[in-house]
Amino acid sequence: MIARFLLGNGRADGGRQQSSLGALAPAGVAATVVYVLFIGLPILALLVQASQQEGFLAGLRGDMVLQALRLTIITSVVSMLVVVVVGTPFALLLARRRSTALRVIDTFVELPIVLPPVVAGVAMLMAFGRNGLLGPVLGALGVTLPFTTAAVIFAQVFVAAPFYIRAARIGFAGVDPTYEEVSQTLGVSPWATFWRLTLPVAWPSLLTGLTLAWARAVSEFGATIMFAGNLTGRTQTMPLAIMTAMESSLGAALALAVLLLAMSALALAALSVLLRRTGSTA
Amino acid sequence: MSDHPGGNGASGRFAVNMGGFRLELEFEVDAGQVLVLFGPSGAGKTTALRTIAGLVRPDAGRIVIAGRTVYEDRNGAGGRPVWVEPHRRGVGYVTQQNHLFPHLTVRQNIAYGLRDRRRESARHRVAGLVEKLRLDGLEDRRVWQLSGGQQQRAALARALAPQPDLLLLDEPFAALDMELRRELGSELRATVRQFDVPVILVTHSREEALALGDEVQIIDSGVTVAQGPPLTALEQPGRGRVARLVGVENLLEMRVTARLPQDGTMVCAAAEHLLETPLADGCAVGDPVTVGIRASDIILAAGPLPQSSARNTWAGVVSAVSPRPPGYEVTLECDGVPLRCHITGTSLEAMGIVPGLPMWAIFKASSCFLLSE
Repeated sequence: MIARFLLGNGRADGGRQQSSLGALAPAGVAATVVYVLFIGLPILALLVQASQQEGFLAGLRGDMVLQALRLTIITSVVSMLVVVVVGTPFALLLARRRSTALRVIDTFVELPIVLPPVVAGVAMLMAFGRNGLLGPVLGALGVTLPFTTAAVIFAQVFVAAPFYIRAARIGFAGVDPTYEEVSQTLGVSPWATFWRLTLPVAWPSLLTGLTLAWARAVSEFGATIMFAGNLTGRTQTMPLAIMTAMESSLGAALALAVLLLAMSALALAALSVLLRRTGSTA
Repeated sequence: MSDHPGGNGASGRFAVNMGGFRLELEFEVDAGQVLVLFGPSGAGKTTALRTIAGLVRPDAGRIVIAGRTVYEDRNGAGGRPVWVEPHRRGVGYVTQQNHLFPHLTVRQNIAYGLRDRRRESARHRVAGLVEKLRLDGLEDRRVWQLSGGQQQRAALARALAPQPDLLLLDEPFAALDMELRRELGSELRATVRQFDVPVILVTHSREEALALGDEVQIIDSGVTVAQGPPLTALEQPGRGRVARLVGVENLLEMRVTARLPQDGTMVCAAAEHLLETPLADGCAVGDPVTVGIRASDIILAAGPLPQSSARNTWAGVVSAVSPRPPGYEVTLECDGVPLRCHITGTSLEAMGIVPGLPMWAIFKASSCFLLSE
């Protein structure tokens, strides 16, 4: 019955017959059930436990939770602004030009995706810390980065930007430059062509990349705790606050966890709605 | 090239080097006229259009559109180089794949190049183009919901909307079927006349060049090898290289055996075959000549015509029949010389032409033309 429910009566490619899976179908059904339980059970458990936990509602309104929520939203929004402003022209260049230097940079861009975030945090300390490479320069300018809110943003940009840049580059590469040339022959300047043609056509990719980058920034933990520390109200974002709260108040920790889960789910839902809307107009 | 081409026309003479390939072009086209750039792929036709549109920067020369110099090298009259960017040239550019913008509707595509596109005046202009190019009722469609022919008409409307001073068409009908090509071709001619815009059309189709061109320039490997009215340039080219480019189906290597000045003809021979061709001034008896005959100028008959004004009748056996839309190509083997003839499907059926059938090829002396290398 589960198999009937899962397989339905159509193929993903729209075909009507199901025979192409053959003997693999039971294995596929079993694997799907296992996987859905594996992902679904912890999330369900989180929600159930949170609803039964004493002090959950109080935790939601607690100072620590509200400060962490506020800080997370502010830092992640600023990070995304930085990522979009810097990442968009960069991705456009990567998509449009070919040179050895750009090819090297292109592979380098995705390094933060595979780099352990803790390593990223240490690396940023080595660069921007008091005793770091740029420490003397920053010191002379009277700028302190580590253990400030700015450091949180640094950490988020570092780990999250590649997700946006990669998606944006793919999106821009999908716009045949001949479209842009035709646009120019119609009297539209290269700058206006970008706004009226390239950007709207690449929009779904950019939006997907931005959502992934934002989710990564919001969940950032390792690089932040190394480079920015864990100061309530200044550098303690939600993931850090959950870690801290686990030691004192399970209620607050669960409240934060449920909030973070809701934000992620909301982002995913918003993305799919936006994509569907641009999909029908694009 | 004149300095002021026909008032609203366009002209130019330029050279472009692109990684080992060099294109040299001199062109002139008047408003309301269609100049066809004809040639095989790789000849440099598209590069020519892109250079005129400003999408490729030439290395030397001058380009004038509607009396305005849009490109000039440093050796020009002004003493310093001139470069007008593509979006300031007032040139419409239609590509083979039409490149309609996928995120916009048909109406938005057509209005794309209009400065006043949010105002009433633009609405009128778009409506006018929609009507002229028979896109009524499709205005709010997405471009992928249009047929191939409708897409090309929309692309043409979009290019015409900002009232360009020059229209560049790069194989605009190549992706369409034969019938649609004819239809769009005649529409294009009417539209061009009506808008009184000079047009440069790139094609590798002889039929298209013949049907649409007022003037044809044949390009090969970056240079113009022939130019003139389509019928002359394409149907009876004077040179062997051009004949091969425009696809003259029958090219015969022969020798002059007799001159008949009273008839204005001469007789050429190759092995057993004799051919009466127009008299050529420079040819003496014994000279080698290449004779071209178009496949469509040959009549196939079941027997020799006893009384006919045609000077040439060759007997042969059908060796191959192949479809060549809209008709058929029949190869007649005449004692070792294959003659290719184009006939309609109706004729093929009526005469029961199949390989092995003995037939006669009949053609006039004036259908034969002499080629020099």
